[in-house]
Amino acid sequence: MAQLEIDRVSLAYPNAREKSTFLALDSIDLGVERGEFVTVVGPSGCGKSSLLMLIAALLRPTGGSIRLNGKPVVAPGPDRALVFQDFALLPWRTVLKNVELGLELRRVPAAERETIARKYIAMVGLREFERHFPHQLSGGMRQRVGIARALSVGPEVLLMDEPFGALDAQIRQVMGVELLKIWERDRKTIVFITHDIDEAVFLGDRVIVMSASPGRVLEIIPVDLPRPRPHHLRGHPDFVAYRERIWDLLEEQVRSSLHWQSSDDVPPLVGV
Amino acid sequence: MRFSRRLVIGTASVAAFLMVWQFVGQREIVRSDLISYPTEVFATFAHLTATGELGTNAAVTLQEFIEGFVPSIVLGVIFGVVLALVKPVRELLDPLLTAIYTAPVIAFIPILVVWFGVGTYSKVVIVFISAIFPIMINTRVGVSEVAEPWLRAVRSFGADQLQIVTKAILPGSMPAIMAGIRLGLGRAIVGLIAAEMYVSISGIGRMIQVYSSAARAAEIIVLVVVIAVFGYVCVTLLRGAENRMGTWRSDLE
Repeated sequence: MAQLEIDRVSLAYPNAREKSTFLALDSIDLGVERGEFVTVVGPSGCGKSSLLMLIAALLRPTGGSIRLNGKPVVAPGPDRALVFQDFALLPWRTVLKNVELGLELRRVPAAERETIARKYIAMVGLREFERHFPHQLSGGMRQRVGIARALSVGPEVLLMDEPFGALDAQIRQVMGVELLKIWERDRKTIVFITHDIDEAVFLGDRVIVMSASPGRVLEIIPVDLPRPRPHHLRGHPDFVAYRERIWDLLEEQVRSSLHWQSSDDVPPLVGV
Repeated sequence: MRFSRRLVIGTASVAAFLMVWQFVGQREIVRSDLISYPTEVFATFAHLTATGELGTNAAVTLQEFIEGFVPSIVLGVIFGVVLALVKPVRELLDPLLTAIYTAPVIAFIPILVVWFGVGTYSKVVIVFISAIFPIMINTRVGVSEVAEPWLRAVRSFGADQLQIVTKAILPGSMPAIMAGIRLGLGRAIVGLIAAEMYVSISGIGRMIQVYSSAARAAEIIVLVVVIAVFGYVCVTLLRGAENRMGTWRSDLE
């Protein structure tokens, strides 16, 4: 039995204007093993972030069920922690206080949470910055705070929603390598959402390829590349083959999502 | 050193002003019973202090201020949060609150004196209603502008409703709340002095009223300066509290 079981999960939003429902996710089936690094790619708007919010229980599925260690997921819990694309740090808190947030909300005593937070701040290489505020840090450093904050609560599953999406291309690659180092140390289960095919192949044990809206699992591709994965793996013929294969699957989906976006669902650009 | 430069220029301008005032007043270039002059003002201050008249009246005014202002902060913030978060309450009360907020509080003084008497109660009430509206309305705006990622962050760690308010909403709207408190402070001082001047038994405003009917410029100037210094001290204390709560400002995000 997989650690995380996603069983025929659907998500529909009511659309008040058209008195209909908008289907964001359609019958997603997925099992994630303990310690596995799963990446999810799909075109924009395919509902891949919604899938993560469902696992976090910040959203409720309209159909199907999600189980963690055999128990249904109904509310946010200490067994899962999120890392967001926009970092979602609290600007009035220092790095240390931001990393303590999850522990504080779970009423961990002050001295204990400080010790734990320091450990993870050191792990992401921000030891000298624990008294800094988020606005004093670069994007890459802010996301390290986000990762330390998520790890500090000791989750079984790390849910990452395009965590490097707001970073520039070079920082992204460096962060990917660093994330793998952290993961190889304690082998937490990771579900990692991205729209970057290279990133998905480089990081994942398996790549879940999703269709354009409504989101379905198009194909699950096991990535049989050795670990630890060095940076130059991206040029290896096997890596390139995975990338080509996923791109072939996605190209049609991206075209169809473009078509969808050009319909009157999207307001016209004004003043261009 | 820019700071010391600013200090030098500031001190020089104040000193120059006092010297010109002293000269014009003492030499009777302008009638000194109308504008007085610094040494006379200082002597008057010393006299009013020595007789205990200033201290007794200032204590009354200060007590009225504190008894009205502290509840206005507590309730203003609570009501502001409720207004921002509970839509039916907001829809019900918005027109009424806006009407009261835009009306000059001074216009309410006579009726409040009828209701609460000429003593300190009516002054406490004036301070309270002068300050609570700007605090409440600023809190409301601040809360409704709390950024979605902050809420998402605390929710993702399983925060309960109270924790969402204390860990994300209140700190996130603190700059707006502090701006409301500063605004309320100014309005409260105006309302309080005006109410004491309108009718009262004691207080700084009462003293101003008494000395103005005797056309005593030096005493009035002493009292105005006392009020100004009090306002300055309050603003400085607020700024200190703000800095202690963290260097967070909304323009940094």
